[in-house]
Amino acid sequence: MPTPILATKLFVPPPRPGLVARTRLIERLNAGLRHKLTLVSAAAGFGKTTLLSEWIASSKQPVAWVSLDEVDNEPARFLTYFVAALQTILPGVGNSILAVLHAPQPPPTEVLVTTLLNEIAAVPHHFTLVLDDYHLLDSQPIDHALTFLLKHQPPQLHLVIITREDPQFPLSQLRARGQLTEVRVADLRFTHTEAADFLNHVMRLNLSAADIAALEIRTEGWIAGLQLAALSMQGSTDTARFIESFTGSHRFVLDYLAEEVLQRQPEPVQRFLLHTAMLERMCAALCDAVMGDPAAKGQDTLAYIERANLFIIPLDSERRWYRYHHLFADLLRQRLHQNMESGAVAELHLRASMWYEASGLEIEAFHHAAAAHDFDQAARLAEGGGMPLLFRGAAGSVLSWLQSLPPKALDAKPGLWVMYASAMLFAGRMNAIEDKLQAAERALQKPTLDAHERDLIGHIASIRATIAVAQNQVDIIVHQSRRALDYLHPNNLPVRTATTWTLGVAYQLQGDRAAARRAYTEAISISQAIGHIIIDLMATFGLGYMQEADNQLTEAAATFQRVIEIAGEPPLPVASAGYVGFARITYERNDLEAAQRYAEQAVHLVRQIENTDQVIVCEVFLARVRLAQGDIAGAEAILARAEHYARQHFFAAPRLPQVAAVQVLALLQRGDVEAADELAFRYDLPISQARVRLALHDPAAALKLLEPLYGQAVEKGWVDEQLKLRVLQVVAGFEGGDRAKAVQWLGEALRMGEPEGFIRTFIDEGLPMANLLGEAVSRGVMPDYAAKLLAAMDAQPLPSSNLTTPLLVEPLSQRELEVLHLIAQGHSNYEIGERLFLTLNTVKGHNQRIFGKLQVERRTEAVARARELGLL
Amino acid sequence: MAKQHRIQADSDRPARYEIRVHGHLGSQWADWFDGLAIIPDDNGDTRLVGTVVDQAALHGLLKKVRDIGLPLISVNPLNDDENRI
Repeated sequence: MPTPILATKLFVPPPRPGLVARTRLIERLNAGLRHKLTLVSAAAGFGKTTLLSEWIASSKQPVAWVSLDEVDNEPARFLTYFVAALQTILPGVGNSILAVLHAPQPPPTEVLVTTLLNEIAAVPHHFTLVLDDYHLLDSQPIDHALTFLLKHQPPQLHLVIITREDPQFPLSQLRARGQLTEVRVADLRFTHTEAADFLNHVMRLNLSAADIAALEIRTEGWIAGLQLAALSMQGSTDTARFIESFTGSHRFVLDYLAEEVLQRQPEPVQRFLLHTAMLERMCAALCDAVMGDPAAKGQDTLAYIERANLFIIPLDSERRWYRYHHLFADLLRQRLHQNMESGAVAELHLRASMWYEASGLEIEAFHHAAAAHDFDQAARLAEGGGMPLLFRGAAGSVLSWLQSLPPKALDAKPGLWVMYASAMLFAGRMNAIEDKLQAAERALQKPTLDAHERDLIGHIASIRATIAVAQNQVDIIVHQSRRALDYLHPNNLPVRTATTWTLGVAYQLQGDRAAARRAYTEAISISQAIGHIIIDLMATFGLGYMQEADNQLTEAAATFQRVIEIAGEPPLPVASAGYVGFARITYERNDLEAAQRYAEQAVHLVRQIENTDQVIVCEVFLARVRLAQGDIAGAEAILARAEHYARQHFFAAPRLPQVAAVQVLALLQRGDVEAADELAFRYDLPISQARVRLALHDPAAALKLLEPLYGQAVEKGWVDEQLKLRVLQVVAGFEGGDRAKAVQWLGEALRMGEPEGFIRTFIDEGLPMANLLGEAVSRGVMPDYAAKLLAAMDAQPLPSSNLTTPLLVEPLSQRELEVLHLIAQGHSNYEIGERLFLTLNTVKGHNQRIFGKLQVERRTEAVARARELGLL
Repeated sequence: MAKQHRIQADSDRPARYEIRVHGHLGSQWADWFDGLAIIPDDNGDTRLVGTVVDQAALHGLLKKVRDIGLPLISVNPLNDDENRI
């Protein structure tokens, strides 16, 4: 469920008529368009926003605007408004990001920013984005995201940041590179001429040069101060006396003048100003609700305040929504708290909360309820109707509210403990979850539970199941998911569908494919119905994987296509799962070029995600494609990269056997049987071991390895394994001289492969398979299909490995190849050692062996010779 | 000097601070500044003096100074001798 967007936050403030023209600053802003960033940094009341709105009115470029609030402190909410602002001038940009932004586990912010930058880079014209009141954010993740954005910023985008304090970007770096334009207090404060223009022309006072100078010195060119001073003097006959007492006073300018200005207002206006000061933004209806006085007419008062220039800023062109100038609002709030009991202020917040809720703006309603310390109202709003508020871009404020509550209050409403735990899960703070869940359970300990309490027990279990998915703990996933489904309310679909998905993952990990399929199918249908995009995506991918495992290539291809579609265009990195799945199907159907394209796309996408073992899945498959294309060296380089990644990320280490399996294929193609043998045993890979036995001309040993595996695959109903093993048995049977058996097995394999058009599984086996397929044709065993496979084989180019490897006396090892690649890229021995985590002496040892095997004496000769041999 | 450094290093403990701003500030701002004493000086400055629970609270106060546009002159920790104001 998306965050509702407050359109008023995206409204570019219109220039007020009759302002002081600030030509020098406008020119500086225009010149700044050539750079990445314009920083307008100065204290409150120096006319920052006014300057920008004047500039925009005169600018020819499209400009998007966001007025930030403290509640935009969360990356998800910030990015939502960032994209929403862009969409006011670039329709459709960033749609794919909005879709996943509020998922329980959104992709890392940098990934989303990268996706956005790619879309911006495709925009055919230049444009500007203004972030107003950036100082209201106090968020390192957002600072980092923008720093990242600035680093990779396409020239189309110009960023303007308006703030009271310098943001945590590497400003000195930007300055040094000439990528930054700054407008600071010294530039913004009124010069003598501007002060004179403002007081005598805009405010129509008739002051002497000496009076203007005195005011300018007293306010130090502070525009808000000058404006307040002018308001105090308007309509007054004795301006001289005002100036004398003002300039003679030591009182803080704002303090002195605000009192003057406020006291000149009629009493009802004064009350209105005070009572509405706690609103971040206001419209007449909201003001009426807060004032609670049927006689007061909010619309008229707002219009009066705007006419009187009392620091009010319209937020839309219909003049429906307004806000006070922040400085003035702070001043009024300070007065409000001084003049009113805290209970009465809470009452004002509560009225605002009710109005917002009735208007469907639940996040704002929640904020005011929390400010009113109305626990029940805030709790009810945070729970939300259907989808909790914390999943709708308010995670940070819900979390800080929960943190502010005493444990006793949470005990009284155990649902809040569960919400606390969800918020922690959402924030990825895995270690802080369990104690919240236990607190909830303690609070729920009683003889009988009502429907709501049972639902909470179910939610607790579902959270535990999700944690267990991240840790691959099958037993816990199953136990907790089942418990969750037993207890969850039938209508709690968001949590039920997430639980159905965790159960699917468990079944898949256990190898119970039928059950996994059922779970994924159910999760997809529910998550689609309620718009739970992330579960839809995860479950759809899971289903595709299961269909592929059941040899249903056509269905799997369609399902993987759907993953790609859900993930949007340009694709989100999580779509890599769909791309690599689709690439595998394309490969099996023998379209190597397309398979390579999809696999490369998958690798490109998955590399944008931090810390995921999917990187290895994608890279390993790309290596497989390269091997099929005869590019052994290319495949080996990719595998080396994948291996390195797996070792760097300890959680990815379980993927090493998958890397090794393809490394074995590469080594066999290269003719390095010994190394292949070693690897197949080290990682305990029976199928790879069988291949090695075949290469060592020991088909009996290969058959002995394959037999029990086939039996197991039949027993478990793993049809993909059955097909692969049967094909390998065919080759082993042929090599062993048992042609009759080989042809019989081939017949079985052909019948398994024919309905879905398997090709590569057969033709990757090379000459022995060609031989037997010929025999199948002549004996009439699935002759059409066998002939088709033979034709596909004939169309294959000869693998280059057979041409290159024999020229080497002794093939290079995996490690030596890595070193050779780095030498070719021009790295020094020292750098190579650093990259591969080797000592200098070890690197030199590798060099000696490489030179020996290549029969050269120098690095340059080694590279030239390696190129000749097709090793590079 | 050595003593001052020690006071500043205790970032997680309550400590007394003096925040000096330019201009005389009315006592009605005491609530805004979380109950700090507001002491006008003859030279036209105001000293905000009081106990601040930790560094985070101190930064919060400085933001409040920033938000109403008060020119900030200095921030000093007070040692025990200076406690009486």
